[in-house]
Amino acid sequence: MNEAKVESMVWSLLDGHRQLEARVDREGEDYVVAFRGRKLRVQLEDPRAWNGSGAGKQSSGIAKITTPMPGKVVRVLVEVGAEVKAGDGVVVVEAMKMQNEMKSPIDGIVKQVAAVEGATVNGNQMLVVIEAHAG
Amino acid sequence: MLRKVLIANRGEIAVRVIRALREMNIPSVAVFSDVDRHALHVRMADEAVGIGGAASADSYLRMDKIIDAARKVGADSIHPGYGFLSENAAFAALCEKEGLIFIGPPSSAIEQLGSKTSARQLAKRAGTPIPPGTEEALNNANEAKAIAREVGYPVILKAASGGGGKGMRRVEREEDLEAAFRDASSEAERSFRDSAVYIEKFIVRPRHIEIQILGDHHGNMIYLGERECSIQRRHQKVVEEAPSPFIVNHPELRAKMGEAAVAAAKEAGYTNAGTCEFLVDIHGNFYFLEMNTRLQVEHPVTESITSIDLVKWQLRIAAGEKLTLKQEDISIRGWSMECRLYAEDADNGFLPSPGEITSLSLPGGPGVRLDSGVYPGWKVPLEYDPLLIKLVAWAETREDVVHRLIRALEETHIGGIRTNVEFFLDLLADTEFLAADLHTGFLDEWFTRRKKHEFTPAEIEAAKRVSALARRPKPQQVHVKSKWKELPLR
Repeated sequence: MNEAKVESMVWSLLDGHRQLEARVDREGEDYVVAFRGRKLRVQLEDPRAWNGSGAGKQSSGIAKITTPMPGKVVRVLVEVGAEVKAGDGVVVVEAMKMQNEMKSPIDGIVKQVAAVEGATVNGNQMLVVIEAHAG
Repeated sequence: MLRKVLIANRGEIAVRVIRALREMNIPSVAVFSDVDRHALHVRMADEAVGIGGAASADSYLRMDKIIDAARKVGADSIHPGYGFLSENAAFAALCEKEGLIFIGPPSSAIEQLGSKTSARQLAKRAGTPIPPGTEEALNNANEAKAIAREVGYPVILKAASGGGGKGMRRVEREEDLEAAFRDASSEAERSFRDSAVYIEKFIVRPRHIEIQILGDHHGNMIYLGERECSIQRRHQKVVEEAPSPFIVNHPELRAKMGEAAVAAAKEAGYTNAGTCEFLVDIHGNFYFLEMNTRLQVEHPVTESITSIDLVKWQLRIAAGEKLTLKQEDISIRGWSMECRLYAEDADNGFLPSPGEITSLSLPGGPGVRLDSGVYPGWKVPLEYDPLLIKLVAWAETREDVVHRLIRALEETHIGGIRTNVEFFLDLLADTEFLAADLHTGFLDEWFTRRKKHEFTPAEIEAAKRVSALARRPKPQQVHVKSKWKELPLR
């Protein structure tokens, strides 16, 4: 493949005579590549990050509820020690005049509440940690 | 002419008004909240005044601060744009009292057209058709039954002081009416502390078609054709076009609806630009829905097919000039369609996606108009409506304009935030959309048959390659995550 960098973060690629223009943006650790208005997310993984601390997923029995976007915490619906069922709302976040209820993905006990009512939060900020029931 | 105009708004509509002012050599004044100091509308204005905190309630909705700002800079008039204070009768009245020109209708017209029941009564007086039913509250279920028999099922029960879908019940058969009446009244009581419910014929698969009007202070009023806005999500318009494909097939309706809109507006003592919204059923019966007493988001499609600059006419009319356009001067050429590009995650419940626009590349070429409120590096604030850019295309036919829009969307790159660009690319390729078989429930049906875009193997390969190029150190391990599936490549 023949590639020409045409602008900052923009490449024109030639595969034979087939031309593709690709635009790249960084989003956190990911790269987002756009072709004619369509975006493709690419993850370049570094094996050094594989140190076993893959926290955050349900596999460890822990669910971390994070904000999908920047906004403001309107209401915190749970406190530490509370029992929640999958689908129960835990925090309400407002962004651009829309209120969004963050729900627990698992049944479990609330271990930590980092969300504070009235506080402004960034995207991907941890709000609540829930630990699944043992067994 | 106006001496100096303050724009009590932000974003693309403030930019739109500033452009008209610059072309007319009228000084422009922007207002901005704390998070909008760097906004495009401020950069383009001749003068700018800070009016307070990020929350709309602390800035763009503060009538006192906006009036003060106008005084401070010596503006003689205020353009309210859309949203914010644009349909606030109290604000229009305050401008009138303070001797400032409110660029819009008189406060009395906004007031009368603002409430559902008074607008309905006004339309009825003007002879503008309203959905069959009652204007007053029903006393009991038997009264509802009698009217339902008269207008025919399905019917809809609505809370008299309601809104937002609360206290509404659609009823298909008489045997369900009594229970629905009870439910609707108790829900209305709970939500609005008013159990009053009225009844209307329910219009099945209606189209949303609206008429643009312009009226001056000398008794002249004209209509500028229609727009069809049937593509809606949760009562929010998403795609608008002019003319309406339905009206093109029923051409006698244009003048009928136009005259009905003008009659309602005249009854309200209306001046300046306004829009009369109608629901139209499959037989071509049309019913007054409401009047929007302001410039609308979708005004560019009307400008494109009529070659008339609505904002300039708003300014001239506000200055007391005569509307020199006559009804017979208004002709329609070609087809225009608008996509509202929003900072939102169309694949994740259309959640807002504020943040920094890290890269921006916009389309050009024949028949493309961009009304944008953003630039590369602009941080889209989370406090306001997430509309970024209106992409409007014009072409000779509807088919041509759809293809032009697709081409323009493919040229559009907004990096760093999520947008609904791909949602439009999918929608505009839908065969039923192309067939123009539209109704207000169209999008809900379309979502269930939406075709997912597939990237070609060459694109996936290229994506890996350029990502690696974008990052200096060589990647050790690569996998590509598209929106629809995760595919490990190596």
